[in-house]
Amino acid sequence: MSLEDLSQAIIVGNRQKAIDLTEKALADGTPPPEVIYRGLVPGMDVVGEKFRNNEYYIPNVLVSARAMSASMELLKPLLVSSGMKYVGKAVIGTVEGDLHDIGKNLVRMMLQGGGFDVLDLGVDVSPDKFVQSVKEFKPELIAMSALLTTTMPGMKKVIEKLNDEGIRGTVKVMIGGAPITQRFADQIGADAFASDASSAVLRAKELLGVSS
Amino acid sequence: MNHRERWVNCLHFQPVDRIPDEEFGYWDETIVAWHDQGLPKTVRNNPEADIFFGFAERRWAPVNFDLAPGFETKVVEEDDRHQIIIDGNGVKCMIFKYGSQLTSIPHFIDHTLKDRASWEEFKRRLDPETPGRFPSNWTEITKQWENRTYPLGIHVGSLWGRIRDWMGLEGAAICTVEEPDLMEDMVEHLCNLIMRVLEKVVVGVQYDFADFWEDMAFNGGPLISPASFERILVPRYKRITDFLKQHGVDIVYVDCDGDINQLAPLWIQAGVRGMFPIERASHSDPYRLRDKFGKDVILLGGVDKVALIAGKAEIRKELSYLKPLADQGGYIPHVDHRVPPDVTYENYLYYLDYKRDLFGIPRPPAHSEAINS
Repeated sequence: MSLEDLSQAIIVGNRQKAIDLTEKALADGTPPPEVIYRGLVPGMDVVGEKFRNNEYYIPNVLVSARAMSASMELLKPLLVSSGMKYVGKAVIGTVEGDLHDIGKNLVRMMLQGGGFDVLDLGVDVSPDKFVQSVKEFKPELIAMSALLTTTMPGMKKVIEKLNDEGIRGTVKVMIGGAPITQRFADQIGADAFASDASSAVLRAKELLGVSS
Repeated sequence: MNHRERWVNCLHFQPVDRIPDEEFGYWDETIVAWHDQGLPKTVRNNPEADIFFGFAERRWAPVNFDLAPGFETKVVEEDDRHQIIIDGNGVKCMIFKYGSQLTSIPHFIDHTLKDRASWEEFKRRLDPETPGRFPSNWTEITKQWENRTYPLGIHVGSLWGRIRDWMGLEGAAICTVEEPDLMEDMVEHLCNLIMRVLEKVVVGVQYDFADFWEDMAFNGGPLISPASFERILVPRYKRITDFLKQHGVDIVYVDCDGDINQLAPLWIQAGVRGMFPIERASHSDPYRLRDKFGKDVILLGGVDKVALIAGKAEIRKELSYLKPLADQGGYIPHVDHRVPPDVTYENYLYYLDYKRDLFGIPRPPAHSEAINS
């Protein structure tokens, strides 16, 4: 058994095999960060690439992400004591007035699969809640989602609130969702726009200066 | 030329005096917002708005291809902003109690349809023989359609979109990948339901069109892989569209949404030639579809709603861009989804006037007369 096999289980979305191989790797004494960085992350990298190339579609990504999440559940309790270093910390949420979360959840899973420690604030998240999470969780990245043209302005409010609180410089802001464009991101002063879950991971790593 | 003749001719690429005067509709919150901007408060919903704005009428036969009965809707819990409900699909979800997003897609929490065991329960609600799938005075109703001047359609439901509603996107996705036999069984059951009911309601009626609802694509592409679509859905669509064609219905379109570039060729292969509403912001472009598929595709929508938000110059630019395509036939331009509330009432009225003038559509009687008549 190798961590390449775990990567392969993630790529094909075999949840049970991902669980079995993760348990086996841990039983063999493989450090949890190594399971993540040599097993899960390369697997999700391939999933992201296949999605970008239209070899994979939403169902494939969801199945792979589910396999990855099952493996992560086994690893999470061991990460603190293992000295795990994530590639970055991110807060994610759907902005106030908007209950949509399919795209947001995909981005969350892809970020986790990319080695990020992600705090998911859920849906209908107020600017205050985003700002509070920056103060408490201290992420390097905020990722915001909106599906509706009417809730897009909520993204600007979050950025304004970060400015008002004097913490805008501590965190990069990435936005996405059906009506969002690069032009809108530029208008509201976001640092990046991502058109889909896969490119969100690439943008996030670029923003944080992390090599893919 | 009456509206029926105009609509049918237009979508058959035949000569028309002008394009049909149709629009998709509005979010409920748009109508609420427009009440403060001049829309009479007597206009409370989409059907009333259609009359008020003077659009040409289409009608659908009252046939139910869906859950019968649906699940009992009930509120499970609530706070000051939200309610958690069980909806008519058996889905536990969170909705806003009030405010600007009343008709938005809810936040889904749990689904009743999860696996083969729960599907067996579901099937009881999808029995083609359940009384009430069409009214008991059916013959009497069909007589009213004999000399109609409006297009009459039949909404034949869905082969995948409703399964996605009942299972959730993640549930349907996982089922497609891990239990393809179950997914195929469910689609087959829906296909059989549609066929069995159709067999009864095509007798003695000449429909002008049929439509599916799938909402199967998002702005990044399809929600199901083209390979799964081709294997599971194409043969079932084809059974239905072949049957419809045998009964004189060759205009069949799908409410698809989103980026349909990868699915459009498969739908056309399956006999579903109409794409509605062509969503510009989702990279679906009516010119590109026409270039690729010629007269094999018929198009509805394609007016970028963002232009209506942007203002009058953008509205003029957008409609002028689409006019040459509409002049070729096989295309009814209208806003590419429901009009969102950030379109002002003033911009919408300007859009309607400009569109009607540009396309030679007579402006309807004054709005106040329309609503009172």
